[in-house]
Amino acid sequence: MKTNNSVNRRGFLKGAAASAAAGAAALVTNAEISEAQGTGAGQPGAAPAAGSAPAPVPEQVARDSGNVTPPATVRAVMRPGSDLMTQVLKDLGVEYVAANPGSSFEGLQESLINYGNPPNTVPEFITALHEESAVTMAHGYGKAEGKPMCALLHGTIGVQHAAMSIYQAYYDKTPVLLLAGRDDGFIAAHTARDMAGMVRSFTKWDAQPKTLEESLLAIQRAYSEAITPPTAPTLVVLDIELQKEEAKGLRIPPYKAPQISGVDPTRAKEIAKGLVDAQNPRMAVGRLRTPQGVKWSVELAELVGASTSTTATNGPMSFPQRHPLCGPGANTTYDYTLGLEAAAAQASIMGPGLTTLLSRDTTNIGFGGIAPGEGGSNNRGGGGRGNAPANATPVQADAEASLPAIIEEARRLITADKRRTIQDRIAKHTEANQQARIQAITQAVQSKRAGWDASPISTARIYAELWPLIMNEDWCLSSPSNFSGGHHVQLWDHNKHYSYLGGQGAGGMGYGAPASVGAALAAKSRGRIVVNVQTDGDLNYAPGVLWTAVHHQLPMLTVMHNNRAWHQELMFVAYMAGVRGRGTDRGHIGTTLRDPYIDYAKMAAGYGMASEGPITEPTKLAAALKRGVDAVKRGQPYLIDVITQPR
Amino acid sequence: MFVAVAVAAMIIPIAAAGRAQRGAAPAGNATPPTSPVTGSAAAGKQLYFGYTCYGCHGYNGETGRAFVGNWSSNLASEENFIRFLRGRANVAPATPSTSMPNFAESTMTDKQAKDIYAYIRTFKSNAPELKDIPALNAIINSASRPYKP
Repeated sequence: MKTNNSVNRRGFLKGAAASAAAGAAALVTNAEISEAQGTGAGQPGAAPAAGSAPAPVPEQVARDSGNVTPPATVRAVMRPGSDLMTQVLKDLGVEYVAANPGSSFEGLQESLINYGNPPNTVPEFITALHEESAVTMAHGYGKAEGKPMCALLHGTIGVQHAAMSIYQAYYDKTPVLLLAGRDDGFIAAHTARDMAGMVRSFTKWDAQPKTLEESLLAIQRAYSEAITPPTAPTLVVLDIELQKEEAKGLRIPPYKAPQISGVDPTRAKEIAKGLVDAQNPRMAVGRLRTPQGVKWSVELAELVGASTSTTATNGPMSFPQRHPLCGPGANTTYDYTLGLEAAAAQASIMGPGLTTLLSRDTTNIGFGGIAPGEGGSNNRGGGGRGNAPANATPVQADAEASLPAIIEEARRLITADKRRTIQDRIAKHTEANQQARIQAITQAVQSKRAGWDASPISTARIYAELWPLIMNEDWCLSSPSNFSGGHHVQLWDHNKHYSYLGGQGAGGMGYGAPASVGAALAAKSRGRIVVNVQTDGDLNYAPGVLWTAVHHQLPMLTVMHNNRAWHQELMFVAYMAGVRGRGTDRGHIGTTLRDPYIDYAKMAAGYGMASEGPITEPTKLAAALKRGVDAVKRGQPYLIDVITQPR
Repeated sequence: MFVAVAVAAMIIPIAAAGRAQRGAAPAGNATPPTSPVTGSAAAGKQLYFGYTCYGCHGYNGETGRAFVGNWSSNLASEENFIRFLRGRANVAPATPSTSMPNFAESTMTDKQAKDIYAYIRTFKSNAPELKDIPALNAIINSASRPYKP
């Protein structure tokens, strides 16, 4: 909506021209002053000698050294709408807004960097070199923290740059808050009547508000929708005029956090009774929504003495892997099993999946794994609900929101006698799980010896050498490990909700580095370090994100799994050639990164990142990793290029 | 390329699972074969890379679908190896029993196969004893430490 106070593009340009003219006049005045003061040769401002640059005038020196106070100006808009938009983000606790700059959100960007005291904090503006990177940063952050980070997109072109990342976060059921600028009067190709239409099929909710007040409400609602199961990206399109509009006395509407419902009280009692009365209860814990859900799952397991399974080695927000109750337990005959976002025999509490959003698939994409008839997977990144056992009781409710009521009911039901029984069971489980863990690790390390001294370096050795260096740190493995052997699954302890952030979501490449930057944004203020075992093909989609890590001084260690190929595809093509009886000797065409090899240490150095490599000798790996870990512990990103075995 | 890679990557878990099932290697022999070798290992090294054998079996035969420590009966002799390369090419090429590519004689001669076999036979474990690997010992020791939330 345009108001009398709005500043349109034409008006802005006119004002800018006037300002430029005023600036030019000021320069003339400065020069005149210098002349009037009689500055001579060799003095600042003196005419340059032939072939040399002019010496700076005192005013230039003062300005360059930061000793000049900007002239007082009369603000054309006292309370711009984008200040209020920024305040809404502050009130929601959005820590970061990542963006590649664009004119369609210049009003909001100006507010983000200047509004508030101190300015540019919660949210802090994160400079991205590509919208795809900005959104994937938010994707990585969302998985680490279980809450949205914001990505700001520029018009039609920014939304399209971001589209793959949005799609991937959607598949991964990750909350992301997307804001897109819309400027109807500037470059026609950068605007659209329905900006969100391009990504509607794979966002959960969107809005294109007409007034400033609607804009504020829309941002609040987008945040709520993003964090309500099924968690997913949401998008608000913000017209440039609304960003620049004088808000006058408009008040920010109060925000009401969404009420996420769990199982009904009757079902909560049934489940609690099942767990408490069981001789050997079991909990299967999948991917919960937030860190609080993880805490509640631990509380319930400890309360009823249930051994548990976890998905913490597959992704974030699950039961701590080394918790004494995590493992098969002393007795693997379970008489009551509760699934929390996981299939289980007696009760499987599963939140809504992406299938519940299919009405937004207006272009009839028919998502694989989501659309009806496509089956589904048992993780939050796939199609939502898993395939519960035939005798299971599927309970359609958010597991995390169900836990407080179940815990409360369980507390009521536990008598002193039962408490003693539970304590005894916990002691037995603890012992059994500890022994199982030691046995598993002992077997695993034997298998990791294979190729230990090989050159190129084995991926197992990378993970094995890393663990002693980080095991006593607060760490996050931010990159997918499916292409690098996943050796951390057997060797590392995944005890935090962010220990391992899991896969790409939809298998899209270009994910590892920007997701790691997002994870590192979450880590920076929380004293963590982030480890990114980075596949080479993946990095080359948008390597500029390395610069973002340096620019914002993020604690991100990148260890290149540099097999000089899109190796999975190399194997696919070789396989296909073999099937067709045509030989595999041309399988490298289009699948390898040879002629020339890419020097990732130099690439990182070009973006200002401390780096080393390529490392081909396995004996040099541990020392390099230590240098890298030491650097990120100081808050500085670091990259080590390691030439590796293919897998 | 982007689409191809992305789509391919999406199906990796499925494909990998399927191939692992289809191509599950029988438990091999820890001891390497001792049958005669007539090919040239030097020539075979070039072919091993050129035919992208390293892609699945590692540059040293120790990683991925490793040979070392897991010597299949298909590698017991040159004859077995060649029979394995050829054996499925004309049987069910579209639905092979393993993910190992088929190699008809038109794509790899017997001599080339023998050279590759000779190179594979040079593979041996160079891994130190476990006690001599500090990182792995540190990992074993870490398994016993108490859980800290």
